[in-house]
Amino acid sequence: MKYILMMTGTKADFAWYAKWSKTDLQAQLAFMHSFNKELKESGVLVATEGLAFPNQAKLVRAAADGTPITDGVFPESKEFLAGYWIVDVETPEQAYQLAARVSAGPGPKDRGNQPIEVRPVMSGPPPEML
Amino acid sequence: MKYILMMHCPRTGYDTFGAWPKKDIEAHMAFMLAFNKALRESGEWVSGEGLADPKQAKIVRAGKDGLPITDGVFPESKEFLAGYWIVDVASPDRADALAAKASAAPGPGGAPMNMRIEVRQVMSGPPEQNSCNES
Repeated sequence: MKYILMMTGTKADFAWYAKWSKTDLQAQLAFMHSFNKELKESGVLVATEGLAFPNQAKLVRAAADGTPITDGVFPESKEFLAGYWIVDVETPEQAYQLAARVSAGPGPKDRGNQPIEVRPVMSGPPPEML
Repeated sequence: MKYILMMHCPRTGYDTFGAWPKKDIEAHMAFMLAFNKALRESGEWVSGEGLADPKQAKIVRAGKDGLPITDGVFPESKEFLAGYWIVDVASPDRADALAAKASAAPGPGGAPMNMRIEVRQVMSGPPEQNSCNES
């Protein structure tokens, strides 16, 4: 079963992250590298990506003629995807365990354990929709 | 340059979609399959996934003992990722053009949905600390 583990944050969360000390950032990157390496070696890693900061995010929609209309305005409350992992595991509990590991990753002292959204990934549309 | 194109929806988005007439769902799916095929043929396809119904989403946090605490309660306003594409394109404009194509996917009655697609660059590695700053 494939699951996606998503890290998200508001623009304010990203601004706070950008102010982490170099030591804290390095500890977090080291954690991510070893976590990714472990997932690869155990054969559960399907994909992982980190996204650019939300100040680069745009909303695109098609105009009546199909050309893109772009907009960079988002509500304050918008949670931006920061990055994700897709893992192939036997049970949802295994996906939750891995999410808990990321949740407890290193950061500044005042940082609580961060919430990670976990959801199954479909390989196609559910049969009842077709 | 790698870009991610994201489709978002509210928590009940899949119920709305599932209630479309069958032929509209089929037309939408046929569009998506053809869009994916064209991306593969142009060599721009990196990856793409559709996510399960937001009602299956859980928030997981580590407890003090490091064990997962799961919760399924989200704010009403929360946007859920419905699916995404990662494309490798020659320019940001090309990413926008592809997003506009996806945006115009057929909806009820076959009319273009013109849905909003969030477009953002994908990093191949961690950013330098200085480039993290919000400008």
